[in-house]
Amino acid sequence: MWKTILRRVVVMIPQVFILSIIVFALAQAMPGDPFTGLITPQTDPAVIENLREQAGLNDPIPVQYVRWLGNAVQGDFGQSYTYKIPVASIIGQRAGNTILLSLLSFILTYLIAIPLGMLAGRYNNSWLDKIVVIYNYVSYAIPTFVLALLMLWLFGYTLNWFPTSGSVDVTLAKGSMDYYLNKGFHLILPAITYALLGTTTIIQYLRSEVVDAKTQDYVKTARSKGVPEKVVYSRHIFRNSALPIASTMGYQITGLIGGSIFIEKIFAFPGMGQLFISSLTSRDYSVIVALTLLFGVATLVGTLLSDIIMTIVDPRIRID
Amino acid sequence: MSKRKLGLLTGSAALALILAACGGGTDDATESSANGGDASEGTESEGSGVVDFETVVTNEGEVMDGGTLNVALVTSSPFQGIFSHELYEDAYDADLMQFAIEEIFSTDENFQITNDGAVSLDFDQEAKTATLTVNEGVTWSDGEPVTSEDLLYSYEVIGHPDYTGIRYDANFTNIVGMAEYKSGEADTISGITVNDDTSITIEYLEVHPGMLQSGGGIWSGAMPKHHLEDVAIADLEGSEQIRSNPLGFGPFAVSNIVPGESVEFVANEYYYKGAPVLDSVIVEVVPPESIVAALSNGEYDVALKMPTDEYPTYADLPGYTLLGREELAYTYIGFKLGTWDSEASEVVTNPDAKMSSKELRQAMGYAIDNDAVATQFYNGLRSNANTAIIPAFGDFHNADVEGYTYNPDLANQLLDDAGFEDTDGDGFREDQDGEQLVINFASMAGGDTAEPIAEYYMQSWQQIGLNVQLTDGRLLEFNSFYDRLEADDEGIDIYQGAWGTGTDPNPEGLYGRNSAFNYTRWSSDENDALLDKISGRADDEEGNAWDSEWIMTQYHDWQQYFSEEAPIIPTLFRNEVLPVNNRVAHYDWGYDADPEFGWHAVGVTQDEAVTE
Repeated sequence: MWKTILRRVVVMIPQVFILSIIVFALAQAMPGDPFTGLITPQTDPAVIENLREQAGLNDPIPVQYVRWLGNAVQGDFGQSYTYKIPVASIIGQRAGNTILLSLLSFILTYLIAIPLGMLAGRYNNSWLDKIVVIYNYVSYAIPTFVLALLMLWLFGYTLNWFPTSGSVDVTLAKGSMDYYLNKGFHLILPAITYALLGTTTIIQYLRSEVVDAKTQDYVKTARSKGVPEKVVYSRHIFRNSALPIASTMGYQITGLIGGSIFIEKIFAFPGMGQLFISSLTSRDYSVIVALTLLFGVATLVGTLLSDIIMTIVDPRIRID
Repeated sequence: MSKRKLGLLTGSAALALILAACGGGTDDATESSANGGDASEGTESEGSGVVDFETVVTNEGEVMDGGTLNVALVTSSPFQGIFSHELYEDAYDADLMQFAIEEIFSTDENFQITNDGAVSLDFDQEAKTATLTVNEGVTWSDGEPVTSEDLLYSYEVIGHPDYTGIRYDANFTNIVGMAEYKSGEADTISGITVNDDTSITIEYLEVHPGMLQSGGGIWSGAMPKHHLEDVAIADLEGSEQIRSNPLGFGPFAVSNIVPGESVEFVANEYYYKGAPVLDSVIVEVVPPESIVAALSNGEYDVALKMPTDEYPTYADLPGYTLLGREELAYTYIGFKLGTWDSEASEVVTNPDAKMSSKELRQAMGYAIDNDAVATQFYNGLRSNANTAIIPAFGDFHNADVEGYTYNPDLANQLLDDAGFEDTDGDGFREDQDGEQLVINFASMAGGDTAEPIAEYYMQSWQQIGLNVQLTDGRLLEFNSFYDRLEADDEGIDIYQGAWGTGTDPNPEGLYGRNSAFNYTRWSSDENDALLDKISGRADDEEGNAWDSEWIMTQYHDWQQYFSEEAPIIPTLFRNEVLPVNNRVAHYDWGYDADPEFGWHAVGVTQDEAVTE
């Protein structure tokens, strides 16, 4: 297996290389550049030109690409045109927020979805199952920002249980216990919102797999051996039913880094989704290219992770 | 400070559609006089559907000693956080800076520099010099006095070869010795002399009356040299000293920043106008989707950059008074009339351009009903614009210019007389030579009103028999729009754009012969002559070039002439709105506010915000 993983990682290198060329060329092909809309009428056009020249935007794209590549392999992705700090710093700031948020909501998603899916499958056609199915329809149909606004209105403004915006209170001293508690407190509402939206597919898969498995021979065998019903579900059925979920888990893990533009916007939570969108509109080339590459690598790693998880969950599968 | 291209995008984009149904309209740009007493909520003035606002509010109750003012900064993206007048680019950073990092000059109701601020200006037009003197008691919030070195340092940073910002413009190249300093040939700026601890004298190559205007030619910032001198100029933008613990001489001092989210300010006891009433101010970014809910809960006392397209959802917010004032911006329809010659750095007006008929342009101006647009699409928060100098510029604005109001009969008449006839009976007019006339209209995407407004304009023009099509058949994205406009793309005959005006009314930067931002590429000898007078390059026989009344007359004449020639049709003036909680004892948002009023004078009457 380790050989396979190594081989897969080696194959990623040309993939990432090709991706970087495409992303770089497409970013430059967008109309405008980071200086569009920034220049004042009092500015001498020569000064504008000078800024472009300094930024190297007047060089042919292949030249710019080679220069960028040279820096990138040394870990230098340049300076953000909009935020004026190194790309790595701005992405680092945002990625920290996003990963915390996604991790919490990732855990919440599975905490909510697995019991619901199992119970709905086990007692299918009961009232409990019907409620879960209705919940599923609703959470599938509701647009992200509508749910986010509803949660904000209900738990933030009406009940006043949770803070409504930002990632931490500005008045707290960095590094204190209160600071971290407050940070966690700010995460809860957006994380729950995010989690609720992510449960649909997992519940649906799990439920139908469980319903299916109940009539399978191996379940009958287990039962006839006298295995208690509880164990039949928790060991025999769950393990098999979880396979389709496990196969998507790898993607979900890498999806953690992408963030959600809607949730970030509504909870005023500075994360990766917002950074990506705003870098596109402001033509912040260095950030666009770095982020797209990061997402690309994440997807590749995600595929690999999915395969690895599969072999762990299902001993019948071997990659070699 | 600077003029900027405005996108039609309101920033909240698509998300705002859900919560804010598009209501009826209101808008007005009148400046109310600063009077005491309770300000009323916005009221619709008779007939026009345009809302009139007060700029001042005074609430009853005893002002508490101390307290915290909670301020919302309404935006859907994190702020950039470059706290320096010399380096910032994003308008939201300016909103944050106002509490701690003040400009050195104060201004009057015409945005002309007065000597009530931190620095006094002594301008000598004969000697072509400006002497800046720091007024007594002006102190950085760390207790160090503001000195002549700090004034000079702004110039040394902006003029430095390593400077990374966008402020090095004609106002700096106009300083004696600046070019040599910029190129690295000289280590100092020869035209700037440090007289003593508090004053510097700047020598200019050319002087003009507009330099007495805020943003008109004399830099209005100062940098704390003792705080910044250890940072290389190329690294200033990213430095801790600018981003994490910036230093100013404003009423408050930055005490804590959560990047992109919020800033905490504490009272600056050294403030030269007197210690602030409040203990602290907290500014937080709030998305437009939830600001109304947050205000209903009394979470904020003041909301900066309130989204005007959602006005109906907060018009009657309990516990708040809505103040309104004119935005320093206007929207317009421009006609492409030539090209830009970048070699000669001047516009080349093409007398045979498709839109070169003055009557055609005027007719298109008379065909559109901007009052209807203001009320139907903008809830009355905008109003029909009559000239390219906005009313906020006080005496510079010519209220007598009639501009273009809805009059389709006159539009038809103008076209008939000018020879635009429908000769082939397809319902559309042909041009003066009997050729098919198809006008391509470029308009920007953004916000929920962009599309219907563009449609409305095109229908209005069809009603006077003009065949107007959208460039590419769709709305253009902001960057693409300005890219093509700058390149004089042949697919654009007319366009809808907007300008932020800054505080300098001089129109030369936008409509002069040598301005690359003169996107219509229109020019005329008479326009040159009028702009020469406005900019102080031409005089009359009595030598009135520096007489402010005479200059005002020139501004008025230019507006009259410009409106008649119609290279652009100004369409809308804009209003901005500021909700202020009723626990804030007194607030004055007018451009003509008393110079003694400022954030230091703001106080609250109770601990919690009022919500009913």
